[in-house]
Amino acid sequence: MYEDEKTQQNLYAFKPQLEKMSNWGIALIVVLVTVIGFGVYALYIQIVDGHIVTGMRDNVVWGLYIVNFIFFIGISYAGALISGILHLLRVPWRTPIIRMAEMITVISTMIGPAYILLCIGRLDRLPNLLLFGRIQSPIIWDVIAITTYLSGSIIFLYLAMIRDLSILRDNPVKNARWRNPIYKFLSVRYKDTTKQKEILNVSTDLLSIVIIPLAILVHSVLAWIFGMTLRPGWHSTIFAPYFVIAAVYSGTGVLIVVMWVFRKIYHLEAQITKIHFNYLGIIMIILGALYGYFTFSEYLTSWYGSIKWDMEVLYRLFNPHEYLALFVFAVFVGVLLPIIIVTVPKFRNINSIAFAAAIAVLALWIKRYLIIIPTLESPLLPLHDLRPEYVKYSATWVEWALTFAGIALFILLFYLFSKFIPIMPIVRTGEEKDYSRLRKIVFEKQMKKVIKHHNKSDAAVTGMMILLLLSFTPSLMAQDDSKIQPLLKLEYFHIDSVNKLAATLKAKVDGKFLPLEDMEIAFKYSQGGNLTVMNISTTNDKGRASFDIPEEIIASGGDKGVYLFEASFAGKGNYESATGRNSMKPLRLELSFSQKEGGKMANLKAFESGPDNQWIPVENLDVVFYVPRTFSLLKVGQASVVNGAASVEFPTSVPGNQLGYLTLLAKVEDNETYGNVEASGTINWGKPLPADKILKRGLGDTNAPLWMVYTLIVLLSLVWFHYMYVIYTVFRIRYLGKS
Amino acid sequence: MKRRSTNRRNFLRLGIAAGATALIASGGSVLSAISAPENKETGEKIKLLTPDGKLVEVDKGHVCCQPAGNLEARQGLPDKKMVMVIDLAKCRNARKCLQGCQKMHHLPPHMEWIKFYLLRDSEEMSPYWFPKPCLHCNNPPCVKVCPVGATFKRTDGIVLIDNDRCIGCKFCMAACPYSSRVFNWEEPKLDKGVDAAAYSPETSSPPKMGTVSKCDFCPDMVRKGELPNCVKSCPNGVFYYGDRNEDAVTNGTDTVRFSELIDTRAAYRFMEELGTEPSVYYLPAVDRAFDYKEGFEGLSEEEITLYKKEANITE
Ligand code: SF4
Ligand code: SF4
Repeated sequence: MYEDEKTQQNLYAFKPQLEKMSNWGIALIVVLVTVIGFGVYALYIQIVDGHIVTGMRDNVVWGLYIVNFIFFIGISYAGALISGILHLLRVPWRTPIIRMAEMITVISTMIGPAYILLCIGRLDRLPNLLLFGRIQSPIIWDVIAITTYLSGSIIFLYLAMIRDLSILRDNPVKNARWRNPIYKFLSVRYKDTTKQKEILNVSTDLLSIVIIPLAILVHSVLAWIFGMTLRPGWHSTIFAPYFVIAAVYSGTGVLIVVMWVFRKIYHLEAQITKIHFNYLGIIMIILGALYGYFTFSEYLTSWYGSIKWDMEVLYRLFNPHEYLALFVFAVFVGVLLPIIIVTVPKFRNINSIAFAAAIAVLALWIKRYLIIIPTLESPLLPLHDLRPEYVKYSATWVEWALTFAGIALFILLFYLFSKFIPIMPIVRTGEEKDYSRLRKIVFEKQMKKVIKHHNKSDAAVTGMMILLLLSFTPSLMAQDDSKIQPLLKLEYFHIDSVNKLAATLKAKVDGKFLPLEDMEIAFKYSQGGNLTVMNISTTNDKGRASFDIPEEIIASGGDKGVYLFEASFAGKGNYESATGRNSMKPLRLELSFSQKEGGKMANLKAFESGPDNQWIPVENLDVVFYVPRTFSLLKVGQASVVNGAASVEFPTSVPGNQLGYLTLLAKVEDNETYGNVEASGTINWGKPLPADKILKRGLGDTNAPLWMVYTLIVLLSLVWFHYMYVIYTVFRIRYLGKS
Repeated sequence: MKRRSTNRRNFLRLGIAAGATALIASGGSVLSAISAPENKETGEKIKLLTPDGKLVEVDKGHVCCQPAGNLEARQGLPDKKMVMVIDLAKCRNARKCLQGCQKMHHLPPHMEWIKFYLLRDSEEMSPYWFPKPCLHCNNPPCVKVCPVGATFKRTDGIVLIDNDRCIGCKFCMAACPYSSRVFNWEEPKLDKGVDAAAYSPETSSPPKMGTVSKCDFCPDMVRKGELPNCVKSCPNGVFYYGDRNEDAVTNGTDTVRFSELIDTRAAYRFMEELGTEPSVYYLPAVDRAFDYKEGFEGLSEEEITLYKKEANITE
């Protein structure tokens, strides 16, 4: 099979690449591995010390990592769109570049998501994404979309490799002890029979159709991570298509650069010709023009509308002291320069087109930076922070190390891959013409290396933790030696037929009354001038001590119905002794409810103890009505008792429980004669609570809206069904190869 | 064991379902004096209203004080809908609320769950101080975007974070339009005892490296019938907190009808146009108790300059 001259020539040209590695190659690998190793060290530091070692802070929560993430996913478009579309359209010149494009896709789709992992504070909890994943979250969309996309790209790349693998199987590679069996296994007994050929072609076509919308979706989802937030510069409907266009633009750029590099190192001048550069260059500038158009439209709209927050972001971008230089480079140079180079014949040659592509790629990386950072630096509320690193993002060495490690990994994987399988298809399917005669290489001056040096110094993290929390509790070690006279207040309460005394001990420290904790208070009862200690208790953190008055003391009748109590504090440390007194005449309140034509009423009766242990109606008394709420009492009315009775309207508008039960409290407060007395009653006259009102949480709910679930299931099953089918055809090819 | 906890929950439901919790409050802040040690019988009885209007007495230790577990904390206190009203007319940037909050949640000084802005809507208008906790949005953008449901909206309106589940992707921080969230960028330095305490999303403590945190509306305090520390610490009574279902909010001194307060004082919600539906209401800064300049007291020159710049004050 494949006896045609072209294939044989190709095999002859490419096999040596697989068979030996130059010293330069080894040196390259060593350098790359070192860079990656440094990145791994940086990652280790980041995991151990936390994200504090990065430049990310509470406002700029994402930095270089997310920029790289978008960048790598963006360049993955090279394969998906370029090779997919070129394949479908049967563009004749595509063959030599199609594998590179697909390799870019697979490798960058593997590296890209690693960057989003770097943004995650708790890598150990990644399984939570599977355990608790919520499909309302764009991050989960991203996880699903990228895995699907990566799987599809790998299958697509593999399908396109089967023919070459079968050739390598039939022409074993030297020095490839472990590779040859892999070639054999992966080539699935492909012998290019008519049947096998047909199956393979159908599957490839099918997959390239599936992968195009999928690729568009992946980058849209990525854009939606930003578009779905309410942030100026992000919350824009144009974002998804904008990201898609920018991605294809950068993908094409990277493809051109990769072509240029491999053409140089593997001497592929015969295969990759000026035609390829010209055609891809034209595709690139068309995309570049679209990207420029989208950019213009985006910024013009927000500038014209001039919403305060949008303007703030624009102001940053146009400010010479902030991002103007980068903005000009990303938007003007990055679009206009490639257009000029490709369209003006004088400038157009292989090297200049590659240079233009490199500029476009760099510009697009910077554009992503400008999408992420200025927006995060412009929150809706002023970014009020005195720590410079919280206000302005600047990437640290850790982030740069990992950025370069990613680029190094990209190059390394690409290089190793090109040692595993030829960088371009060996087998000519006869669709394409021979362009080698059109080759006319103009060697230009060495391409100047453009290294944009970002003058971002590592952010110095300065500790600001000098301020100590102010303490609320008073220092018991008061500075001056003079003694402090505390105040002791004694109150009497009658609540639910329990008689209580409560003492509060406070002292004035620095002009403020503060409670004294842990002090002993003696509660005393005085009868006929004799003081008896009833109880001794200690104050709590609110300076309070309380005591329930025993029944027998109340029963004793007091001094003609009046009881005298005293609380005393013996003094401690700097605090002098203090005494509080309270006299009390027992008062009884009765609360009842009645319904008259006038409405629902709460009626109160008040009696005081008269001579001979009788209860007689109180002449005059002020009563306040309350409704107990979670934290405190809500005042709902007040009344004066006249001749032992008072009534108020029941507060029917106050919510009770589900059945409308509401507790009403009648209180006599701090009364000179009676102290604090209260009575309560409960009745279902309140406003009923609506039973278990379901809180509508929309997308914030635990469960996703059904339409979203269905859409996801339908989309995913459509795509995965195709994958399954394609994988099935691979087995079928293998089966057919048996005979 | 299981039965006990169910019992506890029933009590809880009993108590708090009743809407009118207890008469703990009735002896007022006065007799709730004896603070209950956690999780055990305190001997202190409190009265609860059962749904059908009977008053029952239960031990205080049964109904409160135990921090809720990670799953229980997702539920929300039954029949409650917590709201806050912030009276801008009384705020003078004293920052006592923040200090109280930091003390209670063991936060380092630079971690601010309440932020203070000096806002000025346009140049003709005069500046006013604007304290801002998490607004506990009813349509919270932060909750929508969380990939693992680590931040969630409860039935009582509170938005919490489960720091045992959070993967630290910071998406919620990017999504919150009010800059309410902060991140534990490094291993939190904690006092002894704080780090050993059992974690509960309701106490947000102990914090964990690599996860987000923010104002939690103090559901653990609500369980105890106590006000959050910011409310208690404010010397000017700026913060009102309460249950909308009870139609009452309090700043510790005054208790008022929520509906009346927001009606008579023309309350508004911050950036309502974003559709986030905050649970925090602001009373406009009319008839101010303080000149805004008093808020500069105790601030560094640098910070005053920054505030002035933000509010476009030129003098
Ligand atoms: S203020 Fe921010 S963090 Fe708080 S609920 Fe709203 S969106 Fe979430
Ligand atoms: S940082 Fe934590 S809480 Fe916030 S979105 Fe990510 S997982 Fe959810």
